[in-house]
Amino acid sequence: MTRTEFWQGNTACAEGALAAGCRFFGGYPITPSTEIAEHMAVKLPKKGGVFIQMEDEIASMASIIGASWTGARAMTATSGPGFSLMMENIGYAAMTETPCVVVNIQRGGPSTGQPTMGAQGDMMQCRFGSHGDYSVIALCPASVQEMYELTAKAFNLADKYRVPVFLMADEVVGHMREKIIIPDSVEQVPRKALVKGTLPFKADSDLIPGFPQFGKGYGVHVTGLTHDERGYPCATNPKLHESLVMRLVDKIESARREMADFDILNPDAEIVFIAYGAPVRTVQQIMHDHPHDNIGFLRIRTVWPFPEYALGEFKNARHFLVPEMNLGQIAREIERHTKVSVTSLPKLGGELHTPAELLAAREAYR
Amino acid sequence: MSFEDWYRQDRLPHIYCAGCGNGTVVNCTLAAVEQMAWKKEDTVFVSGIGCSSRAPGYIVTDSLHTTHGRAIAFATGVKLANPDLHVVVFTGDGDLAAIGGNHFIHACRRNIDLTVVCMNNQIYGMTGGQGSPTTPLGCLSSTTPYGCAETPFDLCDLAIAAGANYVSRWTSYHVKELEKAVLAGLQTPGFSFIEALVQCPTAFGRRNKFKQVADHVEYLRSHSMLKAKHDRLLEQGEPVPTDMFIVGELMRRNRPALGVKP
Amino acid sequence: MKLVIDETRCKGCNLCTKVCPYKIFKEGKKANRKGIIVPELDRPERCPNCRLMHLYGRTICGVCQLTCPDQAIHWVEEQPYEPKKVAIEY
Repeated sequence: MTRTEFWQGNTACAEGALAAGCRFFGGYPITPSTEIAEHMAVKLPKKGGVFIQMEDEIASMASIIGASWTGARAMTATSGPGFSLMMENIGYAAMTETPCVVVNIQRGGPSTGQPTMGAQGDMMQCRFGSHGDYSVIALCPASVQEMYELTAKAFNLADKYRVPVFLMADEVVGHMREKIIIPDSVEQVPRKALVKGTLPFKADSDLIPGFPQFGKGYGVHVTGLTHDERGYPCATNPKLHESLVMRLVDKIESARREMADFDILNPDAEIVFIAYGAPVRTVQQIMHDHPHDNIGFLRIRTVWPFPEYALGEFKNARHFLVPEMNLGQIAREIERHTKVSVTSLPKLGGELHTPAELLAAREAYR
Repeated sequence: MSFEDWYRQDRLPHIYCAGCGNGTVVNCTLAAVEQMAWKKEDTVFVSGIGCSSRAPGYIVTDSLHTTHGRAIAFATGVKLANPDLHVVVFTGDGDLAAIGGNHFIHACRRNIDLTVVCMNNQIYGMTGGQGSPTTPLGCLSSTTPYGCAETPFDLCDLAIAAGANYVSRWTSYHVKELEKAVLAGLQTPGFSFIEALVQCPTAFGRRNKFKQVADHVEYLRSHSMLKAKHDRLLEQGEPVPTDMFIVGELMRRNRPALGVKP
Repeated sequence: MKLVIDETRCKGCNLCTKVCPYKIFKEGKKANRKGIIVPELDRPERCPNCRLMHLYGRTICGVCQLTCPDQAIHWVEEQPYEPKKVAIEY
């Protein structure tokens, strides 16, 4: 039975996680994501799950990785300062191929910044924040409905690709209240179990190894050191390291078409807006106000791995305009994939772009 | 059935130096685990970074070799998500008390049902012999070339003050008592902390005038004072020599524990 | 039972020599192929485990095995004396 509710974005995120089968939340309070932790503290024990408030964000990330290895779907929620703290363990999750979901309700940065104002300043950090080369998945919701749906989807992606998946929301979407339609059930795609007798880190043809859950007799040794297919550390072997890191990156990059989620509106337009997260609302507003003006719009939900082939769908594009609540982090990524000129429309300070600003930008480049 | 069955025979001999006390402590821990009659599928070893933390790679059960200092946080996640698993944490003095200090005291406070075996060699062994928070005053290490100027931690005092249920300290000379202490820790619900003072001949011993491995072990033996004797000296008002280690079961209590199956 | 030191694992630290309560080891004289001077058995008849493990069905003492950092000490069944065929030339 679908039902309609009026929820805050953070509540929708927590409920989406619960619907997807999340049974472990290890977190630390930080504005603007505290509501997710509070909601989980109330709801998780009722569903037989575990909620624990850890002593800091580093411990939060560590505890969800430990819980994930016992087979539980685990998540944490944080914002900018906590996200920076979690980076070492995020690298550990990427290296050991641990499925987990990290929600980042972005706020004004850098440092303590603006705790109660939205921003999108962590987009590059989410992709490149930890040391070394690896690849992750990042989803960006732009409405309370998407907070629910994308959180649920994040768990399926994490389990399928055995990688930390980030839900890069912002304080605007996290704290706003909107109508949401809740489906009666959410599809849960479980992890591929390791076939007994196979080496624990030997990948199948899709570059993803089976998951050797703790407590099932696999006897797996999980380590952040460079490891071979048995899981044993072999840190001084150059070829092994290269093949391991290449596999971790290719695992995600080669599958980016399958996991991509974006909308293309008016593909024959000459001036195209590219947006994700909260600025999507402003672009949707101007498209609503000027329906016959042929405003092109690429609205991205999976920002990482970046779906660069979507840019090619806009055959007549002369100009890409990228409104972001940061100094052009994704605009930089778009620039390197296209010959069309790209203009970043940054907006710092926590307020959304106004429709007038976007229309003025469009006029300037017409 | 002996503790040898718990080792991954294809990975031995291990990387520990000749005469390293860590090998002894792992033997004693596995002998205690063997006596608990746990199944190998239900036991998980978690460790941080350092010589002590290479131990789970040589043990045949599921194991998690995590980031520096965070072993206890990972172990908390494993234990809470599946309380049926028996979780034992191997850590070192730097891993536990320096970078992992916060996680250590919170685990003691929470009294989470873990057993932590700390191999305290009073130095950072893996990285080449730097000073650690437990390096004694005046000792030489590569980052304290003029003698350590900081007073060291007493890890057991920390654990007791923060609320651990079972705390005990032995050395790598006292193998039988160490095995019994680890066994008691495994049996006690709540947070059990066993500190094992070990010799590090390559990093600590070489710099601090212990020419032979046996010299250092002899030092550990002669500078261990049983808790009963220590208490007697205090009662009689006699002065306690400052460079003695107090060994024995230092705390056993029954504070409410987290993560124990009801 | 007989006490055997596994030469593939022993690193010559001589801790067994120092901790044995019955003093059955002594330091070796010659380096083996790996360059390690493996301790030798001086008085193996004094080892209670060798003599009593079968009688009691469990390890008696065993301090050397617990102490050895390299897991190099094992007890094995003593092989019975095997008759050998010898050719005698007249």
